[in-house]
Amino acid sequence: MSIIENIKMALSSLRAHKMRSVLTMLGIIIGVGSVIAVVAIGQGGEAMLKSQIAGSENTIELLYMPSDEELQANPNTMMMAPFTEEDIRAVESIPEVKQVVATSSEYGRIRYREEQIEASITGINQAYLDVNGLEVESGRNLLSADFLGGRRVAVVSASLQDELFDGEDPLGQVIYIRAQPVEIVGILEAPTGLFDFGVNEVYLPWNTWRTVFASSDYSQVTLQTDRAEELQEAGTKAADLLNRMHGTEESYQVVNMEEIAAGIGQVTRIMTIIIGSIAGVSLLVGGIGVMNIMLVSVTERTREIGVRMSLGATRGQILFQFLIEAVTLTLIGGAIGMMLGGGAASLVSYFAGWPSLVSWPVVVGGLLFSMVIGVIFGILPANKAARLDPIQSLRYE
Amino acid sequence: MIRLQSIVKSFTVAKDEVQVLKGIDLRIRQGEFTAIMGPSGSGKSTLMNIIGCLDRPTSGAYFLNGDLVSQYDENELAHIRNRSIGFVFQQFQLLPRLNALKNVELPMIYAGLSKKERQKRAADALEKVGLSERMHHLPNELSGGQKQRVAIARAIVNQPDLILADEPTGALDTKTSRQIMELFTMLNQEGATIVVVTHEEEVAEYAKRIVHVRDGLLVKDEDHVAAKEGESVE
Repeated sequence: MSIIENIKMALSSLRAHKMRSVLTMLGIIIGVGSVIAVVAIGQGGEAMLKSQIAGSENTIELLYMPSDEELQANPNTMMMAPFTEEDIRAVESIPEVKQVVATSSEYGRIRYREEQIEASITGINQAYLDVNGLEVESGRNLLSADFLGGRRVAVVSASLQDELFDGEDPLGQVIYIRAQPVEIVGILEAPTGLFDFGVNEVYLPWNTWRTVFASSDYSQVTLQTDRAEELQEAGTKAADLLNRMHGTEESYQVVNMEEIAAGIGQVTRIMTIIIGSIAGVSLLVGGIGVMNIMLVSVTERTREIGVRMSLGATRGQILFQFLIEAVTLTLIGGAIGMMLGGGAASLVSYFAGWPSLVSWPVVVGGLLFSMVIGVIFGILPANKAARLDPIQSLRYE
Repeated sequence: MIRLQSIVKSFTVAKDEVQVLKGIDLRIRQGEFTAIMGPSGSGKSTLMNIIGCLDRPTSGAYFLNGDLVSQYDENELAHIRNRSIGFVFQQFQLLPRLNALKNVELPMIYAGLSKKERQKRAADALEKVGLSERMHHLPNELSGGQKQRVAIARAIVNQPDLILADEPTGALDTKTSRQIMELFTMLNQEGATIVVVTHEEEVAEYAKRIVHVRDGLLVKDEDHVAAKEGESVE
């Protein structure tokens, strides 16, 4: 007897007891649904954390962390911006380095007419646009000419627009930073990420920033490579080079992003596994429900089993019939659960603002797992059915 | 076609061994219409189960078409039941959720026939028992006699060597019983070998041969073909 014949038979006997089948499936639906939701949300969260913390663009940040000895030898170290123009040139000349993003930030007052607010004012070089990008919502982005000519133009964040301009269109308006006039040419998109709060920010071309703040040093340097594998090596080379140029031991360092990313991945994975296994317990309970109902079904259909055996069904065929029935039950339940779980995950991710990842391996794995649950919890009832004595079964009332 | 040689069947009941069949010798030839009679407890049901390959004798040999089926394992017996034996039960034993046609298709499903072939042969069989009008009815929409006709259609659909009926009229009224027995007679005249197990004289009289069982032994074997020939057509 073919599998298709068996599946049809299973479906018709599940249909014959609709209410019971649905209630039995409910356990599997809830179990699979919650596991899928947890895994999807967990994987989405992991992907988001990694992209936000490690940066997805093959970049690594150079850090300046002078040791105590160096601080004692030269107390001014702490006050100085750590990276000079020559440092940048030197790092750019390292073969693996594609480009160097250099920025300086100051927190300061911004004035527009009589209004004043505090904002973080960042001078960026042109590489910053390539690597980090500034998502401009209205107006225009900074251009090459702005960088080369040190034009007095700025791109500001959406929240600064709200606070300083109070509904007015800021494009083309002039704000004052340290009494220097700067024209606003673009407004950034409002952030959507979980950890991005509305911050007052002003981005200036590096040359402009240098004039405004009268400082030629960079406070933050990030380098980018073509390939992710070269990143750590390029970073180490750059740190060594800077230490040599400044005559320091290990004031310049790089953070191992891979390690951090791996660490974060591990934490979120462990969280997912813990919550997922709690959800998995409900799947176990659902499986026991399937076994219970299948046992009832076998008892109820004792005569049917006897008739089938008298008509020539082998014990193997009876076993297979009931096993298929259990697997059909869990598979349908699993598929429904997966849809509901996926839906719940997208709902959560919609409100939390991170991607939910219902990946193909998870879907296939979920369906396979539902089948396995069906086999595991169906084998006992099916075996009971197959071992019935045909003569006794035909007489069963 | 059927040859039973000193068939013994014993059951263990609460550590006591009870011999239900105490050495049965019986031959049934192709095309015979035989009734097995006996009071309850005589062992006739056990004998039927053994002839029907639902059970195996404790000792003795059972040849069906020359094959020593008493030595077969369970899967081989299932195959024999499927291909060589058609059962008709007192309680009809139709599957309640399947319509008449699907019920008749069942043995062919286990025989591995295609859906098309199954439907054709099931329809033919139902027509033969006079139920082509009720093919798509569920068992609970049919009368007792109609249910038994479906069961007979199911029994003959795989063209078995032997039709084995266990008290086929036990749940039917007199008139319907007569119709069912006439159906068996007709099938027998077309060449089917039929064994009916019963305790009712009227039923047994349709058979050409009556075998009496008592206390696990054959006590009487009346072969009254000639005497019954006229009446059986009625």
